[in-house]
Amino acid sequence: MTIHAIQEADTTYGATPYDSVWTSQEVPVQQPDALERTMLAQDKLYVVLAVVLIIWIGLAAFVYRTDRKIDRLERKLDARISDEDASP
Amino acid sequence: MATPGKTYKRLRNIVLAWLTLVVLGGFLLDIPRINILEHTARNLYFHVPMWFTMMAAFFVSAWHSARYLSSRDRVRDVRALEAARVGAVFGILGLATGIVWARFTWYVGQGIWWNFDPKQTMAAVQLLIYGAYFTLRASVEEPEKRARIAAVYNLFAAACVPFLLYVLPRQMESLHPGAEGNPAFSDITHPIMRVVFYAAVIGFIGLFWVLYTQRVRLAALNERADDIPEP
Repeated sequence: MTIHAIQEADTTYGATPYDSVWTSQEVPVQQPDALERTMLAQDKLYVVLAVVLIIWIGLAAFVYRTDRKIDRLERKLDARISDEDASP
Repeated sequence: MATPGKTYKRLRNIVLAWLTLVVLGGFLLDIPRINILEHTARNLYFHVPMWFTMMAAFFVSAWHSARYLSSRDRVRDVRALEAARVGAVFGILGLATGIVWARFTWYVGQGIWWNFDPKQTMAAVQLLIYGAYFTLRASVEEPEKRARIAAVYNLFAAACVPFLLYVLPRQMESLHPGAEGNPAFSDITHPIMRVVFYAAVIGFIGLFWVLYTQRVRLAALNERADDIPEP
């Protein structure tokens, strides 16, 4: 599988114009920080967990917004229908 | 408007059960371990369907926009708007999940969150084009005019999708399959992963349909409430 990670990039062609790290440059590889150590544990399973959590939180936020629209509709109906009942 | 029928409810329940099974299958089934990918290969079931769903949603949106232009039916305008909204949500989720996936897989030790991968960049551009659609809608007061202008713009936005997400990224070097120098998706993916992946695509498109129809029903109710004479 030839996925082009930056370290493996062919440097004979020089830098690619859309790459923010020039491939001809020595890429400074840092020691894994605390965040990376956490995410890379368990054969990187936590990366999948993070991805699924992002999707879950995003969808939950969308459902929450729909709920707020329902609230607004309920208030509108309350205002109009109760006044109508009171009028006759 | 009629209350949602039996088929609607049954379909909704099937979608939710289906997606539950997809998540279970996505985590529990054994997959081949490939260097640097490791378990993150499972993101195929979650990150990629976001984009498929977004494209399906934008297609539905463009379809209703085209129908609006020929029929001038306001329901079409509402449908186009809500489909685009849900589609944009899936697009943002696709972008966010892609950033996390790449950060801890290909950019480990470099601390890069955003590396202008062609597909990633084009997807962001595509989302901005749709962002302009919502802004455009907000800027026109008169409903008739808004619906008409928005429908035309929406057709333009949808026409950009194949070019920004397929044609251009495939010309350049990218982490994504099918790009220059990378094998196509079907050549590198284990059969069991393909089964779960297609199931996930169907499931998330089903979820789009649930969220989208909820919004459309809500908008229809809102219009009915507006018809009640104000006291």
